[in-house]
Amino acid sequence: MTLDARDPLDELLRETLRQDVAAAADSLGRLEERVMESLGERLPKRGILGNLKALAAPTRGGRWGQLAVVGATAAAFLLVGTLLGDRLPFGRHKEPLLLGAVPAAATKSVASRSSAENGVLFILPALNARVVSVVGSFSEWEPVPLSDDDGDGIWTTEIPLPPGRYEYAFIIDGRWWGQDPSADEYIRSFGEYSSVRYVGGGGDGA
Amino acid sequence: MRGRRPIALVAALACIAALGIATAAVTLDDFGRVLAAIPIVNEARVMAAFELGLKSSCCGFPVSETYRLLERLAAVSGSAADKEAIVLAITQAIEQGIPVDSLLNKAFEGLARAVPLAPLGQLLEQRLRLLLESRDLFYSRGIFRASPGASVAAGATALQPSQFDGLLSNFGDALGDYLESGGSPFEGQQIYDGVHERLTQLSGTVLTTSDVDLVFSRIEPTDLTQVVLAALR
Repeated sequence: MTLDARDPLDELLRETLRQDVAAAADSLGRLEERVMESLGERLPKRGILGNLKALAAPTRGGRWGQLAVVGATAAAFLLVGTLLGDRLPFGRHKEPLLLGAVPAAATKSVASRSSAENGVLFILPALNARVVSVVGSFSEWEPVPLSDDDGDGIWTTEIPLPPGRYEYAFIIDGRWWGQDPSADEYIRSFGEYSSVRYVGGGGDGA
Repeated sequence: MRGRRPIALVAALACIAALGIATAAVTLDDFGRVLAAIPIVNEARVMAAFELGLKSSCCGFPVSETYRLLERLAAVSGSAADKEAIVLAITQAIEQGIPVDSLLNKAFEGLARAVPLAPLGQLLEQRLRLLLESRDLFYSRGIFRASPGASVAAGATALQPSQFDGLLSNFGDALGDYLESGGSPFEGQQIYDGVHERLTQLSGTVLTTSDVDLVFSRIEPTDLTQVVLAALR
């Protein structure tokens, strides 16, 4: 017997593995795209006013594009004010429009609306799952069902939560899963993982 | 298929709303009935504590949540002694004036995960010790809980009751999470960082920023090592 002789059983195993890998790759192929599409559908549509408020909303990271728009708007207002100043009832002696004043005023209304609503979206891609729910400190660890309306394997639910810290885990067909990719942090609880989300604070939960 | 989304949302809201059943609906007699169903030996002590809790329900005792926990305990299978250990951990917290919300949360989670009742009771006792030691630490650093209704002068270190309870609850809970994640009690800086991160995240929402700053201006990493070691003794 030579070393490179192929065993028929070995060949069969290799072929089966190849088919499994191909099937898995096929099913996961567009997963990320589908999650983003689904998120896009579920996010509330904003009108013109909403978009303007969003531009003025505070962000954790630097958004140079937003700053440019706000800055350009302020500059336009300043230019118009300068040109028309003498012709308007309130002249140049009035307080000038400060760059920070516009976003500050708008920010306040956006922030208060956000903290009043605090609908927290729980989203989980779970292909081929039959029943998905989320349990957590917000529900005394009783299951709250997620739904997959279009059968694309992306399960969601939105739960209104007041500001605070919430521990939770998903239950997929009876199996607990505590590592939500969109969690703010993870803890080990009873030897298993739980996800944590901060709502209305420094976390991304709100 | 899209029509099911509103139904799911309504179902989710209903689940949350069901948890918010009026606190006033739960009476001392209700507690007596559910305790008899467990049943427990130290019923008089537990009833006295719950009566105390009901009378001070204005100041944070979660009456309906406690009642629902007892209902679930009565419904699960297990030894009455193990169930009583869980009830006594809650009872002792009420007696000592310690906020019970984090203990209730752990108990609910343990029952949902079908954790055996004996280790669940031991874990709650450890969490209670952490809360007691944390409160002692606060007191030793001049951070107190103001009497309900009393005004708090600017710059004073007597915090509003809800703020103090919120701080203590999250502080002790963070220590418990650290230990249960396998952390060493001797890594004071690591414990400190974890507690700091958690309280900072809650600062400005459920906790007042100035109160959080006050705590960290008076507490050192070595204090946390001592708190954890004392709770483990």
